[in-house]
Amino acid sequence: MSGIESLKAAAQSAIDRRRDWLIDIADKILRNPEVGFQEFKTAQLVSDKFSELGIDHTDGVAITGVTGRLRGGNVGPTVAILGELDSLRVSEHRHADPETGAAHACGHNCQISMMIGAAIGLMIPEVQRVLCGDVELMAVPAEEFIDVEYRLGLHREGKIGFLSGKQEFIRLGAFDHVDMAMMVHSSASPEDAKFSLGATSNGHLGKYVRFVGKSAHAGSSPHRGVNALQAAMVALHALNTQRETFQDPDIVRLHGILTHGGVAANATPADVRYEGRVRGRTTEVIADASAKMDRCLKAGALALGAKVEITTIPGYFPLSNDLTFGSIFRDSAERLVGKSSFADHSNGPTRGGSTDMGDLGQIMPVIHPYTGGFSGTGHGEDYQVVDYEQAVIRPAKAMAMAVIDLLANDAAKANEVIKRSPPKMTRQRYVDIQNARMSKESYEGK
Amino acid sequence: MNLQETKAAVLTEIDRRGHEAVAAAKHILNDPEPGFREQNTSRFVGEKLREMGIPFEDGLALTGLKGVMSGGKSGPTVGVFGELDSLIVPDHPLSNTETHAVHACGHHTQIGSLLTVAIGLQAAGVLESLAGNIALLAVPAEEFIEIEYRDELRRAGKLEFLGGKSEFIKLGVMDDVDIAMMTHTENQDWGYEDKKIGVGANNNGMVAKRIQFNGVAAHAGGSPHLGVNALNAANIALMGIHAQRETFRDEDSIRIHPIITKGGTVVSSVPADVRMETFVRGSSISAYVAASEKVDRALRAGALAVGGSVDITTIPGYTPLAQDSALTEIYVSNAGQIVGSDNIARMGHRSGSTDMGDISQIMPAIHPYAASATGKAHGNDYEVQDYDLAVTTAGKAMAMTIVDLLFDGAHQANKITKNFKASMTRSDYLSWIRSIYSEETYTE
Repeated sequence: MSGIESLKAAAQSAIDRRRDWLIDIADKILRNPEVGFQEFKTAQLVSDKFSELGIDHTDGVAITGVTGRLRGGNVGPTVAILGELDSLRVSEHRHADPETGAAHACGHNCQISMMIGAAIGLMIPEVQRVLCGDVELMAVPAEEFIDVEYRLGLHREGKIGFLSGKQEFIRLGAFDHVDMAMMVHSSASPEDAKFSLGATSNGHLGKYVRFVGKSAHAGSSPHRGVNALQAAMVALHALNTQRETFQDPDIVRLHGILTHGGVAANATPADVRYEGRVRGRTTEVIADASAKMDRCLKAGALALGAKVEITTIPGYFPLSNDLTFGSIFRDSAERLVGKSSFADHSNGPTRGGSTDMGDLGQIMPVIHPYTGGFSGTGHGEDYQVVDYEQAVIRPAKAMAMAVIDLLANDAAKANEVIKRSPPKMTRQRYVDIQNARMSKESYEGK
Repeated sequence: MNLQETKAAVLTEIDRRGHEAVAAAKHILNDPEPGFREQNTSRFVGEKLREMGIPFEDGLALTGLKGVMSGGKSGPTVGVFGELDSLIVPDHPLSNTETHAVHACGHHTQIGSLLTVAIGLQAAGVLESLAGNIALLAVPAEEFIEIEYRDELRRAGKLEFLGGKSEFIKLGVMDDVDIAMMTHTENQDWGYEDKKIGVGANNNGMVAKRIQFNGVAAHAGGSPHLGVNALNAANIALMGIHAQRETFRDEDSIRIHPIITKGGTVVSSVPADVRMETFVRGSSISAYVAASEKVDRALRAGALAVGGSVDITTIPGYTPLAQDSALTEIYVSNAGQIVGSDNIARMGHRSGSTDMGDISQIMPAIHPYAASATGKAHGNDYEVQDYDLAVTTAGKAMAMTIVDLLFDGAHQANKITKNFKASMTRSDYLSWIRSIYSEETYTE
């Protein structure tokens, strides 16, 4: 066994020794789901585990983020391993918080666990010594782009500049000393096998929309009212008629929820709120679909003689996985599960979902592979871990081994990744672009 | 002859010759023609008037006629309308196989009752005892249909208004008419038990719209992203209209009931030219003008949503009908003598519209109903069953009313015209109705 191979074996053994301890972390977070920018207990748990392991770390990054650093034996590039702290809200989920409806219906709880697991593999002295560069361990808040109204409140109060964790991390400079980043997301799709890596995912932007009408007694004087709910209905109907104008390869998704549909059934709804999402393969596609959504929202207001306020919120950039980086991860993953259990989607279609890993991909090489071990429907009530070995332990090992490959041997592979994939933009340019995408418009229908 | 003897002479004459009018009505039933296209019907009415020796003008508002019967002394003129036009109901068993025209609103009996009046007044000695004239008004186009066709006639300068009675007013046909009346058919199962005649109803007024949504055609399968779908715009607009229904007050009786007259050209092409017609009706002018603005808003919203444009032409329709109450009472006393006073129904508001409403704005008018038909008005099963009521009795009641009005120096007619408070003068009416016309193109 070569030196590198024996180091990888040692890292795996170290992770295996902590197997139950790691699974317990995932399970604790599963049972204590917290939504984005409110992951206080989860963040505390990460902080405690870092302390227990003797990892230097910083708490309170972007409200709840925690970042730790493992120093390599020599200087070199920094590889970040990310884990997402936040849950979704799916109140029907078996492990939903009965009060908040928060639930880990996207498997982020396992990400924290595997990130700490990778650290355990890399912290054994013989491994840490050969790394030519550091490893940044990042527990990041708020990947799910939800609770827009709440987060806009944080934005107004100056507590956040962007509405997702990685966007905030970028803005705050948390990635300034990071050269490449990876994380492993869960999947329950059979086509994703045990591990998979695709090429691209959709980007998106958010809409926070308020239809303003005029309230009146809905029984005795509806003629005095202006029904904001009807305006929203017309707008949503109009939105559906746009779908035929989207081209299949552009993977456009328009969807949303009504967060406020009226106050009392006997009053004409005068304040109706909609949280919308516009997704697409490229920022140009998203901008076009966004303009169509705006047109429809205004049409709803115009039809009823209502007003509509549209806040457009910079969402996520489309994700492009770095293929050089990806092949290194793939080697490690295939070693664990065999070639036939790794699904290579690098020539596959763009995934319809979105992640703020796409934003990070604008300023450094990133990969966002998927692991199995789950069943059910992502974001659904039945999404759950069925195999912790695959959901936590193997991804931890795969990431640890990929870091060894990247940073051993004078970080030759890491430097190759960096050289092949210069950043698409600087941090400042990213922040400027995203700030420019934030807009608010008020339209009076008449 | 005294008043009673005069009326008796009228009734006797109608009993003797009234079958001619019934036959005329049935003749027209078999040759239905929609508004402003009633050439055969117009010619037929002209022949009848000529046979009866009544002088008349024809070609009024394209197909209308006006016959005049002069009384023994001068005095006010009472107009009696008969509407010439049919509807278009393709699946009516009596509809014309080519044009689908059919008398699904019973207008053919109106020409019958008009001729019945003429027959009655031709009884020996009757006209001599009257002070004033009777205008027999065979008027085109009461049904407000074929808007596109009529609007093209308007654009070609052949018409200004799309209803016959507004055209009559504009042309001055009504200038020498002081009081107007007509009788319309109704379903026998009309909610007034088995009463025969209904009086006093009000009707909605309305405006009409011609609407054209403009999009961009593209291959609907290969490149729908290059198209702008005008049918979707129309669909959104319709939903926008419906979404506002709760804002209409019951008492305003708002009715908005669009049709799509062109919904696209071929399925494989994104529809780029979609056309609709609609009415916006209401019980008062202010109510339906406000509703019309809401409709326009919804139409614009449809265009806005898809990124297309919409052309909206608003066309004056009919004004709400308000029947003169003094005239109604004279009519009731006469009609009651024929059908029994217990068989007269006092009617409430009706949400349909008639251009008799326009007439009622400028002169005392009545528009009673004769419950003589079965089936749904404007439906595929509406048929007049009781011609005796729709033609003969209706004609008798109107003829007797005319005698009352013009007898004895026309003092009843003069009283009614003196007490009548016109909501607008004839010239105000024309400038108001002209002000309803509007054309707009809305693009985002």
